[in-house]
Amino acid sequence: MSALGKLLLRDLALLLPGGKRGGSLLPFLFFLAVAMLFPFAVGPDAPLLARTGGGVVWVAALLAAILPLDRLVAPDLELGIFDQLHLRGVSEEAAMAVRLLAHWLSFAPLLLLATLPAAALLGLEGETVRILLLGLLAGTPGLAALGLMIAAMTAGLRVGAALTGLLLIPMAVPILIFGAGALAQPEGAGLGLAGAISLLLVAATPFAAGAAIRAAREG
Amino acid sequence: MHAFANPKRFLSLARWLTPLLLVSGLLLAGAALLYGLLWAPAERLQGDSVRILFLHVPTAWLAMGGWSAIAISSLVELVWRHPLASLAARASAVPGAVFTAICLATGSLWGRPAWGTWWVWDGRLTSMLVLLFLYFGYIALAQAVDREGASSRIPAIFGLVGAINIPIIHYSVIWWNSLHQPPSITAGKSAMSPEFLIPLLVATFGFSLIFGGVVLARMRALLAEIQAEARLRRKALGDSASRGRGVTA
Amino acid sequence: MTSGLKPKHQRLVLVLLALVAIIGAGTLAAWALRNQASYFYVPKEMMANPPSPDRGVRLGGMVKAGSLKTDPDGVTIRFLVDDGEAEVPVKFSGIVPDLFVEGSGVVAEGHLGADGTFVADNLLAKHDENYVPRELQDMTEAQKRMAIEETN
Repeated sequence: MSALGKLLLRDLALLLPGGKRGGSLLPFLFFLAVAMLFPFAVGPDAPLLARTGGGVVWVAALLAAILPLDRLVAPDLELGIFDQLHLRGVSEEAAMAVRLLAHWLSFAPLLLLATLPAAALLGLEGETVRILLLGLLAGTPGLAALGLMIAAMTAGLRVGAALTGLLLIPMAVPILIFGAGALAQPEGAGLGLAGAISLLLVAATPFAAGAAIRAAREG
Repeated sequence: MHAFANPKRFLSLARWLTPLLLVSGLLLAGAALLYGLLWAPAERLQGDSVRILFLHVPTAWLAMGGWSAIAISSLVELVWRHPLASLAARASAVPGAVFTAICLATGSLWGRPAWGTWWVWDGRLTSMLVLLFLYFGYIALAQAVDREGASSRIPAIFGLVGAINIPIIHYSVIWWNSLHQPPSITAGKSAMSPEFLIPLLVATFGFSLIFGGVVLARMRALLAEIQAEARLRRKALGDSASRGRGVTA
Repeated sequence: MTSGLKPKHQRLVLVLLALVAIIGAGTLAAWALRNQASYFYVPKEMMANPPSPDRGVRLGGMVKAGSLKTDPDGVTIRFLVDDGEAEVPVKFSGIVPDLFVEGSGVVAEGHLGADGTFVADNLLAKHDENYVPRELQDMTEAQKRMAIEETN
């Protein structure tokens, strides 16, 4: 088995729910809690909830994407995992590409699953839910990529979720606009553009995150 | 150390260039704003509210110019590891954020009489707001990196990734086919009367000079800080070294 | 990819994958924009392909000269939005912005009523990119040029 395959299995064992790094279910519980909070704030008005619920799910997904970032890269940097990988001939870029895949796998499928109860809470109908799921499917690779980039940049710093959130939110605006925009206009370009931005971010992340890891290692 | 050979030349240049840029910039921008406020004619439809143009448009350009400066300095920092580049990027961030904030505030004031609303969620305004938050993020990241003594290449990476936002600003104008009128000034051809265009260009030039002066002043301050720290560290090392000699002797 | 690849080659493979992803992104964006339907309508599009009444859309165009009328209640105005090829009647109740005059550009946010009248919740005046001093607007081109030369 190749070194990168083993690395992927290790990363998945860490990041998947029930994995060693633990707490992977917490972002999804948080996501559902936000979806629950919204009707309390605006009232149980079914048409209003149905009209705005899709956007609420997007915002909740974006906020939930911030939560795992603290523990995504920083512990490995402290343990010197990247130094070891470097000695074994695994470049930082390759390690980050593998980590991106593992992060997305541990994040997106569960988020899509959690969207179903959230949609029920907000009274969203079949077609809206379909567009919502498609949009999240197109947008989550980009969210995961941005998250990994920012996690790598802040890995060597003692900063809280406030800074990772401040860095992630403006970067994630185009994904949110196009992904949630598809809800208002299902036949429009939103889904495709969200997917295009995701692809660009996925392409850039191994290099940006790899460079950040190398900068953090070299000090 | 090549890190200090260059800053010395930079400092001797910046010492006289900083006040020159600041003073000439203040004079030019002040004159253009005064002209715009007092003597420029009222616009055909918008009346007197058009006068805010002379503040709004230069700050909008410099808001984007500020991030371009961060992006270019970041690239220089990452590729050539030039020691002044990271200082230039960090020194551009705060004035860039201030110009972005002025642009948003004047845009809001202008929007009230011109469009009938304080805020419009159109492409360009929204991108400017996102840009402001990018500035906030960059400044916070650079400060955290500084505080913890981490590599200055980390904010540079963020600066480059954030530069993706600037084409999106331009693209969004087309994408949202929105309220905001298409850009008035296109290459080679302007739809603006000279009464408006000339003071606008003068104001833009003046504000650019101010921007350059502020960046130079901040770079000098950052350099002074670094040098003071280095001196302290050398002193501490020297003390412990002499003490070490004392023990062995 | 196997562990046999040197870091340099790993990077090369990633660069190639990134290039493929970027080309894919460009293709996807181009395909998406081809299917783009407008949520900013001009009257011609709105007549040809009316949006359903429950969907909030924007209508943009020029306020047709001579079409602006105020209802007896004093706050409801009716006018025609025109793009040179078609016109849509618009109804609006509320305070209109300064720039809203006959012959100027307007963006109305609202929905298309079942009777074909656009019911606006919000009116936004759109000004064109020509900034012209108030005194110059009624002059001919030659007069303008003379006036500018005199002031210089």
